[in-house]
Amino acid sequence: MLKADADFAQAFSRVGDQGRLSMERRSFLQAGVVATAASAGLSAPAMSQGAAARTLRFVPQANLANFDPIWGTQFVVRNASMLVWDTLYGIDNTFVPRRQMVESETVSADGLTWTFRLREGLRWHDGEPVRAQDCVASLNRWAVRDGMGQMIRSIQRELVAVDDRTFRWVLRQPYPKMLLALGKNNTPVAFMMPERIARTDPFQQISEYVGSGPMRFNRSEWVPGARATWSRFEQYVPRTEAPNWLSGGKRMMVDRVEWIIQPDAATAGAALQSGEVDWWETPLNDLIPVLRRNRNVRIDVADPLGNVGVFRFNHLHAPFNNPRIRQAVAMILNQPDFMRAVVGNDDALWKQMNGFFTPDTPNYSEAGGEILSRPRDAAAARRMLQEAGYNNEPVTMIVGQDIAALSAMGQVANAALRAIGMNVDYVATDWGTVGARRASREPRDRGGWNVFFTWFAGADCTNPAAYLGLRATGDQAWFGWPNDPAIEAGRDKWFAATTPAQEKAACDEINVAACQSLPFVPTGFYRAYQAWRSNVSGIVSGPLPWFWGVSKS
Amino acid sequence: MWAYIIRRVLATIPVMAVVALFVFSLLYLAPGDPAAVIAGDQATPDDVERIRASLGLDRPYLVRFGAWVWDIMHGDLGTSIFTNLPVSHMIAQRIEPTLSLMIVTLILAVSIAVPMGVVAAWKQGTTIDRLVMAFAVLGFSVPVFVVGYVLAFIFALELDWLPVQGYTPFNQGFFPWMENLILPAVALGGVYIALIARITRATMLEVLSQDYIRTARAKGAGQRSILFLHALKNAAVPIVTIIGIGIALLIGGAVVTESVFAIPGLGRLTVDAILRRDYPVIQGVVLLFSFVYVLVNLVIDLLYTLFDPRIRY
Repeated sequence: MLKADADFAQAFSRVGDQGRLSMERRSFLQAGVVATAASAGLSAPAMSQGAAARTLRFVPQANLANFDPIWGTQFVVRNASMLVWDTLYGIDNTFVPRRQMVESETVSADGLTWTFRLREGLRWHDGEPVRAQDCVASLNRWAVRDGMGQMIRSIQRELVAVDDRTFRWVLRQPYPKMLLALGKNNTPVAFMMPERIARTDPFQQISEYVGSGPMRFNRSEWVPGARATWSRFEQYVPRTEAPNWLSGGKRMMVDRVEWIIQPDAATAGAALQSGEVDWWETPLNDLIPVLRRNRNVRIDVADPLGNVGVFRFNHLHAPFNNPRIRQAVAMILNQPDFMRAVVGNDDALWKQMNGFFTPDTPNYSEAGGEILSRPRDAAAARRMLQEAGYNNEPVTMIVGQDIAALSAMGQVANAALRAIGMNVDYVATDWGTVGARRASREPRDRGGWNVFFTWFAGADCTNPAAYLGLRATGDQAWFGWPNDPAIEAGRDKWFAATTPAQEKAACDEINVAACQSLPFVPTGFYRAYQAWRSNVSGIVSGPLPWFWGVSKS
Repeated sequence: MWAYIIRRVLATIPVMAVVALFVFSLLYLAPGDPAAVIAGDQATPDDVERIRASLGLDRPYLVRFGAWVWDIMHGDLGTSIFTNLPVSHMIAQRIEPTLSLMIVTLILAVSIAVPMGVVAAWKQGTTIDRLVMAFAVLGFSVPVFVVGYVLAFIFALELDWLPVQGYTPFNQGFFPWMENLILPAVALGGVYIALIARITRATMLEVLSQDYIRTARAKGAGQRSILFLHALKNAAVPIVTIIGIGIALLIGGAVVTESVFAIPGLGRLTVDAILRRDYPVIQGVVLLFSFVYVLVNLVIDLLYTLFDPRIRY
C-alpha cells in the first residue's frame, strides 16, 4: 500500500470562521412597493433565513457543461461529481488512500488477488442498494478511460462479483498501486455508479445521474452555463472518521448546494461582496485586493498543490527534435518572469521549480535540475543554439489568448526566445483552437506546431501515475510526443515500488532524465486563491473544493 | 395584405436555407475540435479520436450537413455535443431571460429616446438639444460592459438597491423579475436610446419644416398637438425602421450584457457554445436569431401601413 510520508496537516486547515450575519437591504423595489405587490399577488418567493443558511451558493471555476465524470475529464465535472458519486477509496491529505465505500479488503500473499467488501447500508439515490455488481460495471467503464485503470486492465485476469457486497479482482502480476488507483483524485476518478448506468460505453455520455454520494443532482434545475443544484441525500451514511480530503465522513452541513456559473470575474467578485454568492472557487488575482478590503469576505489559498506551468515542445519536428536546442531554451526561460506574469506581484503564490514534481510534496526532486536552477544566461543559450545547429527555423508558438495564464506565459516565452535569436511565429488564438491544433503531428507549415502552453494540476504531478506530461513513449505519449526510455524506466520503478523510499528514488531518476531530455520546461509552480463570505465556515484547502463539512450561519 | 404576409413568411424559407448553409460551412471550416475540449487536457490523442468518432465528427462534410438539414426538416435541432441535452430544450431554457431583457430594454429605450428626440428637435440649437446630442454621443461611445460595471458598482455594491447578477423568472413575481432586469436593461439600452433619439431628432427636424406643420401652427394648433399628433406620426416610419434594425443591436448587445450580469440567456448560450465548438447549439441559436430578425423586419413592414396609410402591399 502506498504510504506517503509527507504531512499535509497544514494544507488540511479549516480556514473558515464564523462571521457576523450581515443584514442586507435587498431591493429597493421590493421595499418601496411591497404592499402593492403583496396585494396584487406579485410577491417575490420568500426564502426564510433558515433556508438561506442551508443553501450554499458556489461559483465554480468553469461551466458544468456535461455531467459524466468518465466521459468528460474536465476538473469541473469531477468536482461536481464528488457530490453525487462516491468512491471505493479516497486519498487523504497525506496522499494515502483510505477506505470509503469499502469496509475491508484483502490481498493474497502473491499480490495477485484483491478482494473487496462493501460497507453495509450503502444506497443509490433511487433507493436501491449498492451491490458489488454495480462496482464491477463501474470499474470496467472507468478502467477504459483512466491511465492507471488501463494498466490494471492490461494485467487483469478477472473482475467479478462474489456476492452482493463482495467483488474480486484477479491480476496476472502484482499491482502495488491498486488502492491509489481506486482512491486518487486525478481525473477520471473511479466513481461508482449503478450497473445500468455504468454499462454505458465509456466514450458515450450517461443520461442518468444516480449516485450514492451525499447529494442528489437536481437534473430538472440544471441549466448548463448558468446553474446546477444538488439536494442532500437523506439516506447517505457517512463514515465515522473525520473528513479528510476524499476520505472520512462526508457530512453535508447544508441541505442544498447551488452552483452559479459566472462568466465574468468582476461580476462574480461583486456578487460575493454583496452576498449574492457564498463561495468563489477561483477569484481573479487582480480582484484579491478589493476582496480583502471587504470585511465580510475571507481569502485563502485554494489548493496547496497548486499548478505547474508548462512550456511544451513538439519533439517530432525541427528545431525541437534536437535535445540541445531544447536545453538552450530551458537555459533562458526564467520562471520568476513567467510567474509574475501569471499571478501578479504576490510572491507568496508561486515557487521556483527546479524539478518536475509538485514542490513541497514527498516526491519533489531537484536531482539533475541545474538546467532549471542556475542563473539564466542568454549569451550561453545563444551559443548553445548555434552549436546545436539552429538554422533560424521558424518556431510556431500556439497560444490560447482566452485563458489569462496561458496568454501571459506565451508573451513571456515569445520575448525570451526572440532574445536568444529564435525566429518565433507567434499564433494568438483561442484555447479551442490550441486544443485541436496541438493534436496535429504535421510540420508547422502543414498546420502543426512547435510550442504550446498549458498547466497541470499540482495534484497530478505529485507522482508519475497521472502525470501525462512526463510520459515519454514517443508516438504513444501526450501531445509533443517525447521519447525517452530513461523516464519510462523510472516510471516503471515507481509503479513497482512498495516503500516511500523506493518511490522517491524512482522519482529522482525520472527527474534526472527529464531534465536532460526535457519533455517540457516547467514555467513555475503557482497557486490561486479562493474567497468566501465570512458567515461560511468549514472550507478546507485542497486540490478540489470539498463541500462536506461546510456550513453557513 | 394577407397574401403579402404569406409571401413574406414563405420568403423566410430560402433566407433560412442560406443562413443554415452559411453557418454550417463556417463552423466546418473554423479551427477547433469539441472532442479535444471534451476529452480534457489529460486525454491521449487516441481518446480524442474515439470521442470524435462517437460524436460523428469524423464524417464527411456533406454527410453531416445532410443529416443536420434532415433533422431540422423534422423539427429536430439536434443534441448538444457537451450537455447531451436537445438543443431545443436548451434554447427553451434560455429564451425567457433574453426575451425579457430585450422587451424591457426596448420599452425603456423607446419611452426615453422618442420624447428625447422630439424635445431636442423642438428645442433645436438650445442647451437641451445639445445635452440630448451629448448623451447620444456618450451612448454610442461607451461600451455596454463599462456601463454595466459602473451601474453594478453604484446601484448594487455601493447603494445595495439592486442585485449584481442573475435572473428571476417572471412566474416568481413581477418585481423580483424586474429587479434583476433594471441594470442590464439600462446598460444595454444606452446605445439603443442614443440611436433612436438621434434618428427621431433628425426626422422630426425635417417634418417640422414641412408646409403642413406651418399650416397647423397658422390654424392655432397647440405645440403638443403639433409635435406628437402631426409631426411625430409623420416621422414614425424612419423611427420604426431604426427600432427594427436596432433589434440586431440588441441581440449583439445581449451577448455582452448577459455575460456581465450573469443572465442565463441565449447570448451566453451562444458564447459558451462557440468557445466549446458545440456545433449543434451554435447552429440552432444562429438559425433562431436569423428567423427572429426576418420576422421583426416583417412586423416593421406591416407597421408602416399603420403609420402611413398611403403604403400598401
